[in-house]
Amino acid sequence: MSVALDFYVHRESWLHRLDPRVKLWGVLVGCVAAFLLPSLSVQGVLLLGLHLLLLGNGIPWRVLRGLWRQMAVLIVLIMALQPFFTPSGDPLVAVGPLRLTVGGLSQAGLLATRALVTAFFIGALLFTTDQRSLVQAFVRLGLPYTWGLTFSLTLRFLPAIQQLFMTVREAQAARGWVAEGNLFRRFREYLPVLVAVIIGTLRMSDRLTLALAARGMAAPASGEGDRPPQRTVWRDLHMRRTDWMTWIGITLALLAVSFWRLVFGG
Amino acid sequence: MLVAEHLHFAYPPPGPDFPQTEALRDVTFHLETGEALAVMGASGSGKSTLCHVLAGLTPRYTGGRVSGVARVAGYDVLATVPPTGTVGLLFQDAATQLFNPTVEDEVAWGLEALGTPPPHIGAQVEEALARFGLLDVRTRSPWALSGGQQKRLALAAVWAMRPRVLLLDEPLGGLDPQGRAEVLAALETLSQSSITLLLTTFRPQAAALAPTTLVLADGAATSPTPTAEVLRDEARLVETGILYPPKLWPAMEAHIVPSTTPAIAMQDVHFAYTDGHAALHGVSLEIPQGQFVAIIGPNGAGKSTLLRHFNGLLRPTRGTVYIHGKDVAGRTTGELAREVGFLFQRPEQQLFAATVYEEVAFGVRALRLADAAGRVERALARFALTAFAQTPPSILSYGVQRAVTLAALAALDTPILALDEPAVGLDGREWARLLAWLAERRAAGVTLVIVTHEMELAARADRVVALADGRVVADGAPAEVLG
Repeated sequence: MSVALDFYVHRESWLHRLDPRVKLWGVLVGCVAAFLLPSLSVQGVLLLGLHLLLLGNGIPWRVLRGLWRQMAVLIVLIMALQPFFTPSGDPLVAVGPLRLTVGGLSQAGLLATRALVTAFFIGALLFTTDQRSLVQAFVRLGLPYTWGLTFSLTLRFLPAIQQLFMTVREAQAARGWVAEGNLFRRFREYLPVLVAVIIGTLRMSDRLTLALAARGMAAPASGEGDRPPQRTVWRDLHMRRTDWMTWIGITLALLAVSFWRLVFGG
Repeated sequence: MLVAEHLHFAYPPPGPDFPQTEALRDVTFHLETGEALAVMGASGSGKSTLCHVLAGLTPRYTGGRVSGVARVAGYDVLATVPPTGTVGLLFQDAATQLFNPTVEDEVAWGLEALGTPPPHIGAQVEEALARFGLLDVRTRSPWALSGGQQKRLALAAVWAMRPRVLLLDEPLGGLDPQGRAEVLAALETLSQSSITLLLTTFRPQAAALAPTTLVLADGAATSPTPTAEVLRDEARLVETGILYPPKLWPAMEAHIVPSTTPAIAMQDVHFAYTDGHAALHGVSLEIPQGQFVAIIGPNGAGKSTLLRHFNGLLRPTRGTVYIHGKDVAGRTTGELAREVGFLFQRPEQQLFAATVYEEVAFGVRALRLADAAGRVERALARFALTAFAQTPPSILSYGVQRAVTLAALAALDTPILALDEPAVGLDGREWARLLAWLAERRAAGVTLVIVTHEMELAARADRVVALADGRVVADGAPAEVLG
């Protein structure tokens, strides 16, 4: 059976307890700062700080290493291509029209670290916030509950669809199906699998509709024509003193970065 | 509290060429507050349809033609949606009704939908989890639970909403013996409470929880009768396909001398999944051609993992697997399908063709076997599927879907059959068909390797291999291993 697409690492830490709305604000400010601050060394300090923050709040190194692995292809692509698109300064190597320059390398490094800082800010949110709290945060910020539920169900069913694909492919292989030949032929061979997955996904969605209806989704409160009862929320979000202090700290950081950018112009 | 009077229902036909057949025919019963009723019937007899109609889901979400009366707690469920919390339904496939990230969130979801004041939700979640023995898994993901735990969780989530009527559709369906025992224990506490209860089943142990039982056959119901009386009439239960005739066993017991040539050989096979979980630790086995081997062991012992090595769905991390003397390394699963017929668990997840005929013909065509049409026709007839040949497999009941997967296998006529839990969720009629086919294959000298929790079946094997923690812990004649 598949499991949900979930990055949450269950721990009891300050960052885990922080209100997810504050963490969302932190991620937003962090990503903005990553793009406002042009210096490679500042990006490096941010990245180091994020690692220390996550490790200090109980996120194991293997989880951080996993994120590095996920980002590795993107970083390699940036470092391999970007220097040739933004050449500036003295060339180090020149092959025909392609010039590798110190400036180009520096730009690529900056872009790569920005991508990493953004990924680790988002990671800090997802590793320390369970799915329910995350959806709850979006709902409290104004997202309709049904949208939040849809988001949560999507996270639930993406791996289920992947699992369905694997199951159908295995069932067909066990009855003699072999995908071989060129790319076009392979695509044609995969068509029956894809059709089966689409049908399976539609059936899954039908069953889910029944399951939600059976548990009272949109049913009236007491009789015909009555509106559904007002949903309540177990363990609703509440901003505590620490949350407010952190929120103020993040906002001050944003102001400081903006001021620095305005005054010194990067 | 729960009333059905002259209730008829027919699903919309799947296409213009299909006749509209009635899934429920003139069903009538009355249930007072606090009473319990068991509805016994074979697969496809209309049990799930009855539950869905009474829960107000059918025909509202499925379409179809309905007539008669269906009333729950005074609400005409055919005309109006009953208020939240009036009726609770446990679906046959519990996993489909679980959609929250953790066990406790799953139970809380319905209480939130009811508008329960937040300070009360925690206590009610706690009570439901305690009642169904789930406190120790409260923070786990529902999809990481065993089948029995998922069923109990779905039950806890429905029960927590304190419905006035509880409908349980095949509460023991699709579970292994351990899961069945867990759920049965949970149901016993429910049947002793004052809740109005209707449960559908083909298992006598579950029916025994209710004082009265009605029998459904092809959508038509008998009147409610004392359960003890219904269970005493075994001949009638066999006739309606609920139980299987015991006379089927002798054919499986026929002594066939296996050849000395190995059909399957495994040498020091180790296997670890990509997440690092090691499932097999140095398994060595030699299975001669024509031998019937039952593989038993607790959940997570590595039984399915072992079986998946026979047709290359999994490859050993270390060690070698030989089929008919040839190493499987370098041969695709598609190539091995000529020699090894493989049956998966959960038939509904592996049916992919537009019609039953196409489903059964898929492997025959992929392997370019001779007499394709004849093979398909014979396999359909073998499993009583000829009438369903042009029906989409997805709309069939669990038992008929299982029959389709067996027919797809039968059409290939492979010298080795590797079957993963073929008997789970089968009613008596389907058991009878499965046993008759296995006996026939056995007599034809086919090598049978069956992963099973059904000890009655394992006792008929030539040899039983017991696995635990990815190791062979016992290997011998059934009398030696099963005791």
